[in-house]
Amino acid sequence: MKRKYVKALSVLAALSLTISLTACGGNKSDNTASSANSGGANDGTKKIQIKIYAQHFDEDTSKPFDYAVEELKKEMPNVEIVLDEAVQDGYQKLKTYAATGNMPDIYETDWTTLQTFAKSKNVELLDSYPETADFKSKLNTGLESRLTAPDGHVYAFPYTGIEFQLLYYNKDIFQKVGIQTPIKTIDQLADASKKLSAAGYTPMAIFAKEKWITTAFYAGLVTREDAKGFGDLEAGKPNALPTAFVTAAEQMKKLQEAGLFDANATNTNYDQASSQFFSGKAAMFVNGQWEIYSSTEKLGDKVDWMYWPAKDEATYDSSKGFINGAGSPGGFSVSPSSKNKETAVKVASFLAQKYSEYKYSVLGSPIVSVKVDKPMTGEVPPMMKRIADEVLPNVKSYATAVNNVQIKNVVDDNTQNLLVSGFTVKQFTDNVNRILAKENK
Amino acid sequence: MNRYLSNKKAIALFLLPALLIYSVVIIYPVLQTVYRSFFNWDGLSTATWNGLSNYRDLLEDPLLITSLRNGLLFALVLAVFQIGLGTVLALACADPRIKGRKLLKTSYFIPVVLSVTVVCQLWIAMYDPTNGLINRLFNLLHIPYQQNWLTSPTVSIIAIAFVNAWQFMGYQFSLLYAGVKSIPEQYMEAATIDGCSKWMAHRKVTIPLMKETYKFCLIVAITSGIGAFVQMLIMTSGGPGTSNYTLTYMIYRYAFMESNYGYACAVSVVLVSLSLLATVIINKTFDRKEA
Repeated sequence: MKRKYVKALSVLAALSLTISLTACGGNKSDNTASSANSGGANDGTKKIQIKIYAQHFDEDTSKPFDYAVEELKKEMPNVEIVLDEAVQDGYQKLKTYAATGNMPDIYETDWTTLQTFAKSKNVELLDSYPETADFKSKLNTGLESRLTAPDGHVYAFPYTGIEFQLLYYNKDIFQKVGIQTPIKTIDQLADASKKLSAAGYTPMAIFAKEKWITTAFYAGLVTREDAKGFGDLEAGKPNALPTAFVTAAEQMKKLQEAGLFDANATNTNYDQASSQFFSGKAAMFVNGQWEIYSSTEKLGDKVDWMYWPAKDEATYDSSKGFINGAGSPGGFSVSPSSKNKETAVKVASFLAQKYSEYKYSVLGSPIVSVKVDKPMTGEVPPMMKRIADEVLPNVKSYATAVNNVQIKNVVDDNTQNLLVSGFTVKQFTDNVNRILAKENK
Repeated sequence: MNRYLSNKKAIALFLLPALLIYSVVIIYPVLQTVYRSFFNWDGLSTATWNGLSNYRDLLEDPLLITSLRNGLLFALVLAVFQIGLGTVLALACADPRIKGRKLLKTSYFIPVVLSVTVVCQLWIAMYDPTNGLINRLFNLLHIPYQQNWLTSPTVSIIAIAFVNAWQFMGYQFSLLYAGVKSIPEQYMEAATIDGCSKWMAHRKVTIPLMKETYKFCLIVAITSGIGAFVQMLIMTSGGPGTSNYTLTYMIYRYAFMESNYGYACAVSVVLVSLSLLATVIINKTFDRKEA
């Protein structure tokens, strides 16, 4: 009897394990079947399904995307877009797709991930496609580094252009405290910080819990000294920080010591920093040009932007045309494992162009990835118009970005540290130099 | 029953499913991690063998020192606060003279069941240097100890460790309370008859008899400290700079931010080894005392 009981239990245990294994395996066969169906449907009568992994979480990302998809329906009616909304997870979901062989036909990612995908053959080389040549011919000046990677290959069709980093300020507060604008030098900004602090304002709100914004602030100072910007940390393979970078670090430290940033800055997130600025508690705010819409909505004509200050007025005037903002390669990429690769390349290029068209014509973004024939039809805020009318005609050069992940990370870490009392410029240079010596040997 | 236990085949058969699952989800990944730590691997491409290179680089990595120091500090705060305060509260709650013990026991455990994110957000607000409760409290008491709790590279790690210690003190408390309650009351009565005060009886009888419980509590506190991560991620994102990094944060950075999985595996091996070493040392220390 007992033996029977043991046998029955062992059979049950084996059965449960078998069932769970079958369940695990079932998913894959289903996926394969699904892919085959969508691929096999390319017979002229059925629609080709193109799965795309793209950002679609706010007005700045969803509206241009939806517009591009609507335009695609007119241009390629046999293509159906299946959107897989990208999550803000440092592209971990996408990497999981790659690791498990489930890559979407088209996806968007950053340069760091693209480099990994290039090595593991998870991104289609677009160099020889006719769509790439067409895209290159329409590319806006200054956007070359967004399309062509440092290794000379094209991995993605960029859909965004240059997004300027701006120093926003509240005109009313400046007037009330008696600060002359424009602020042209570091000393003037340091003096303004002291005046604003004395008057009870936070001089500059910064969401420095996110390290990229401290790097963006630092990059603005670097570009005043070196037109090529961060690109010089890789181009000449320096073992130590060039003078311009040390000067910029000294300037940032001077501003921190003058009280430009809140004591809790490195633990302040975007919501907290922006609400300080919008509620009139902070006099200045640093962010990209995309902030123009919310700033205008919240503060109306009280808000304007200013150029980054320089060491002296002469440098300020001569370096105003050096723009910090050229990005790394990125945009819509195509998976080499796509069943409809040729179509996916066409769709990726088309969507990137239409996305740009919407950003330019409706949102008033002045530099998008490709030239747009359509006029601006949307209501463009005055601050955005100022970029188009005042900055663009006077651009002398665009600073390049740093592509090496280790160098980028050490700069991110240490620009955030510069906002902390007691952290010295020497510590900054020592920390960055150690990585430069390692990565550039 | 005895016949059952003597049937080795049946025992093996019943253990097999659990053993298989344990091997698949624990042993195999650990072995894979050790193996991958000898490779240069981005998680997707073919890995290339680089011998001990990851470990050599790790020895020169200043983040390792920061992470080890932070891990040890974190572990120390957890051990002292959770076990120290947990013991006092467990002894107090075991005393029938204390009123409202049920309510106290429940309230000590409440933070354990709260979401870590909620707790961290609560403490972020309390640690705010200008409007936070802590600095205001010091101000109210005229104590000149205003701190930038989460932005100071030296203070922040202690402040974060305290949050973890506060939240999970209830867990250690429940273990210690169960330990106290498992000691037969006659021992305490005998000690009292012999003229021991309450404190002396706890020191000479209760606490020594709870050695196994303390061993387990200490292992939990130390290994949790060495592997701490989530509080740093939520409260300071590891910053300012990398000042709040721990070994787990290093793994997160190298694997998921830099796609350097081989190196991250090497850090994981150090983390697992340290945790095992701490467990062995604690076991040996307690066993020696027993002998």
